[in-house]
Amino acid sequence: MDASPLNQPPPDDPPQGGLDRRRLLALGGSLLAAGAATSLLGACSVTGATKAGSLGDPDRAAITVWSWQGPAAAMKALVPAFEAQHPGIDVTVQDIGNPAIWDKITTAMAAGGQGLADVLHIGVDYLPAYTEKFPDGLADLGPLGADRYRDAFADGMWQTVTRKGKVNALPWEANSAGFYYRADLFEAAGVDGEALVTWDDAIDAGKKIKKKTGVHLLGIDKPASQPDAANFFQMLLQLQGTFYFDAEGRITLGSPEAVTAMTLIKEMNDAGLVSDLAGGWTALENSIKSGTAAVLPWPTWFGSIIEGLVPKESGKWKVRLPPAVKPGGTTAATVNSTHLAVAGSSMHQAAAWAFVEYVLTRPASQEAIYRTEGIAPALLQAYEAPVFHEPSKFFSGQHKGEIFLNALKARSPAVNYSADYARALKTVDDAQTQVLLKGADPARALHNAADQLARQTGRELAS
Amino acid sequence: MTTTTTPDSILKAAGAARPAAAPRPTARILRRQAVPYLFVLPALVLLAVFKLYPIGSSFLMSLYENVNGTQKFVGAGNYTRAMDDPLLWTALKNTAIILVVQVPVMLALAVGIAVALNSTLLRGRAFFRLGFFLPTVTGLVAYGIIFAVLLNTQYGLVNWLLGLVGIGEVPWLTDPLWARISLGLALTWHYTGYNAVIFLARLQSLPAELYDAAAVDGASAWQSFRHVTLPGLRPALLLTTVLSTIGTLQLFDEPYVLTGGGPDNATLTIGVYLYQNAFKYFDFGYASAVAYILTVLIGILGIVQFRLLGEKS
Amino acid sequence: MTLTATRPDRTPSSPRPVRSRSILLTSSLAIAVAAVLLPFYWLIIAATHSSKEIFDSPPPLLPGGHLMDNLSTLESSARFSDVIVNSLLITVIYTIAAGAICTLAGYGFAKFRFRGSSALFGLLMLGLVIPTQVTLIPLFKMMVDLEWLGTYQAVITPNLALPFGIFLMRQSMAALPDELIDSARMDGCGEFRLFLKVVLPPMKPALAALAIFLFLFQWNDFIWPLVVLRDAGEFTIPVALASLQGLDQTDYGALLTGTALAAIPMALVFLALQRHFVSGLLAGAVKE
Repeated sequence: MDASPLNQPPPDDPPQGGLDRRRLLALGGSLLAAGAATSLLGACSVTGATKAGSLGDPDRAAITVWSWQGPAAAMKALVPAFEAQHPGIDVTVQDIGNPAIWDKITTAMAAGGQGLADVLHIGVDYLPAYTEKFPDGLADLGPLGADRYRDAFADGMWQTVTRKGKVNALPWEANSAGFYYRADLFEAAGVDGEALVTWDDAIDAGKKIKKKTGVHLLGIDKPASQPDAANFFQMLLQLQGTFYFDAEGRITLGSPEAVTAMTLIKEMNDAGLVSDLAGGWTALENSIKSGTAAVLPWPTWFGSIIEGLVPKESGKWKVRLPPAVKPGGTTAATVNSTHLAVAGSSMHQAAAWAFVEYVLTRPASQEAIYRTEGIAPALLQAYEAPVFHEPSKFFSGQHKGEIFLNALKARSPAVNYSADYARALKTVDDAQTQVLLKGADPARALHNAADQLARQTGRELAS
Repeated sequence: MTTTTTPDSILKAAGAARPAAAPRPTARILRRQAVPYLFVLPALVLLAVFKLYPIGSSFLMSLYENVNGTQKFVGAGNYTRAMDDPLLWTALKNTAIILVVQVPVMLALAVGIAVALNSTLLRGRAFFRLGFFLPTVTGLVAYGIIFAVLLNTQYGLVNWLLGLVGIGEVPWLTDPLWARISLGLALTWHYTGYNAVIFLARLQSLPAELYDAAAVDGASAWQSFRHVTLPGLRPALLLTTVLSTIGTLQLFDEPYVLTGGGPDNATLTIGVYLYQNAFKYFDFGYASAVAYILTVLIGILGIVQFRLLGEKS
Repeated sequence: MTLTATRPDRTPSSPRPVRSRSILLTSSLAIAVAAVLLPFYWLIIAATHSSKEIFDSPPPLLPGGHLMDNLSTLESSARFSDVIVNSLLITVIYTIAAGAICTLAGYGFAKFRFRGSSALFGLLMLGLVIPTQVTLIPLFKMMVDLEWLGTYQAVITPNLALPFGIFLMRQSMAALPDELIDSARMDGCGEFRLFLKVVLPPMKPALAALAIFLFLFQWNDFIWPLVVLRDAGEFTIPVALASLQGLDQTDYGALLTGTALAAIPMALVFLALQRHFVSGLLAGAVKE
């Protein structure tokens, strides 16, 4: 016992470690006890009702706004003018970053809505889920005066921001599907880009371009390293007036339109026309810089990205709306939008609304934002500004702003993103990967995806 | 707990607690009995306040489902749904592969590196130690960017370097098998140094005399590693094995930033699936149920590991 | 293999094998560490390039001229000089406080058997095992009720009793021979004095490891500070760096510069603390 420590055997010590059966039982018991005790404590927490906010003083308040990068900078730039008009309101715009902002909003929403900023910048991919899962999470802007802007925004936008008569947000950015293409490569292959009527025409053009120049028609993130890998597929659906869900929220992933879209993609891929953008955004940038694709089927906001990446290719690029899927089909689709909402828990909802109104419904605000950040407004009146009607040198003298404005003005069927958009996107990404990398049959892959989504969400399949 | 009559030698062999010292006055015994509680008290109070409620609350959450914004009690509904969820099984399978293949390789490497880093023969020890430790320092976002640039098939640095020596493009993140290999490599890169530090700290407490004795007995390098170093590392091995198991079953960062769980769920882990369900799909009830299934799994594995590594062979 | 290393060459046959083994060991480790550090080399190179150059193909391998631009973006968009002070403050306080709590508890669990000890240890392990994704929301709710949102105690306090740290110390304390403690106790040493004077000194390497891990944990922790901190001026480094990400316009140059800079304090802490991992066998745990 008093043996010198130096003569100890190698410290082989589990006095501490040796968990015998009895200790394990005790361990299990303690876990159960802990669980039971705290379940009682937490019993009321699960149902976590949102603590109601209040209108507050419309003229005197300190409000906080959550957004990210470019839009945050744009709002910061508007704050001085807003505060001059509303001397009692003090606005702080916080740049949270994207995707970090979603974790931050979701956590606070799920915890009952406390701790949110007064004004929240929310994308179309999250808005329906927030409003469906947390019905009191966002304030109703209708009583605050939002209803008078019902017709101020691009077609379809109002349905996106309202749910059961409640106005959850006002639209900010609205992007239409676009078709940016290398006119020089098209010309080299003897194809007129403006003459493409359907995507079948585009595939034929792609074959000629590939043969003549070696350049792919377009690129897709085949292994779906980013959730937006199905962007192109999603656009092809919208060009046919469908989506992942119908207006009643039933799953339409297995619809003939969806199969048509995926079959088009498979056809392109099988013909060797699709370059792999594995890695997402960085690969996309690289592909543009090294010129591996003749077409970038990206929406409004993407034009300035191309200009920034390859300024030397000025005059070689053109832009148009995408070809239709079927002859005579639509070429206009609003593919994504972002919105400003007021938190349901905000104690300064009136002041918060004043700021939202200032940013989103004043044409001058939207024009300034477009000039500095290139964010295309959903507010139709904003397009009266000359900046949207100037010819673009980079895009071969085309009136890029007007091209997209025409798309915004066109009938664009409202899209039901539903609360399960993210899940649907994930199953679509997987289906597309199966088709592109494993040669799966488009119809079968989509039907499997639809079944899986139905099981996960409890939604019905549209017949 | 049970003590006193057991002969000393057996006690030592069994690794049980030491017998209480000679009888003492009652007051002192009481005070002595209070002593361990005082040592663990601050931690216990903090755990009780900041862990019990979240743990209980999330368990309760696992019994509910959010239906159009109202919480509906579904009992074991989320758990039965999990049993029937092919994606969860895929995630379990992927996680098991990492656990069986990557963790042992990483821990063996970490032991080797720790022993090397402890060596007096090594020049520039501080530099090497820092070098192996640095990967653990990289934050999540940058980690994703760095590996995306390194491992991109067409534009990546690694394939470019391989191209210089005539090796063709490797689909690091785009082929299911390669994506798993890449994930394993990234994990090993990230955490080997971390585990090496635990082993390195532990090596400090191995008495020199044991090695001397081994040397006197004419033991070879391998023999003294086998009979002195490895047994001495046992508590650290238990620690790192348990931690790596927990870390693997909860694995989130690497698949999230490298592959997003793809391609076609080849690198989907339970941690990523859990996060997607909670923060992307707002299905907190289901995510909580998956978390508790995970907890039971870790518990079972932990018990096995404690039994295998915690007691004398 | 490298084992010889840990053993003093009591019976050196000749000095030459020792030297050649030293060279062999050092050079083979140098190759390994070079492979490990390749991503870091690229990180530092990337910090000197603009966002556009970073993703060139092949990626840049030599320094570029944008370090100053990146630094100024980092300062103007992410308030990096404020943020680094915040991170240091939070991390240092956390490391000291959590270090004390984990060490005390680790000792309690390693060297005492008391009523409920295994149950309590079980609870501790449960805390280690439960994924943070599901405890995040209830914990956030607690912060709301405590009105702690936007404070540093909200960042620091919930993780002070870090199960990992307690587990680490429990396993490390196990190495300490019971005789050492018992004999000090019989000499009439008070329990706390015993802890400070007898238990802690030989635990220096373990304490150094604990401090490294606690510092690392708090320094890199992202999601919790992200959800509880409210003002850009009070953000920590990872939260501030995440704000550099946008939907389509992430400033990768500034982001990677920030990452490289954030690694420096952590590296210094590691270098300072690793000195307690004394090489060779000069510091056996039981040497008084």
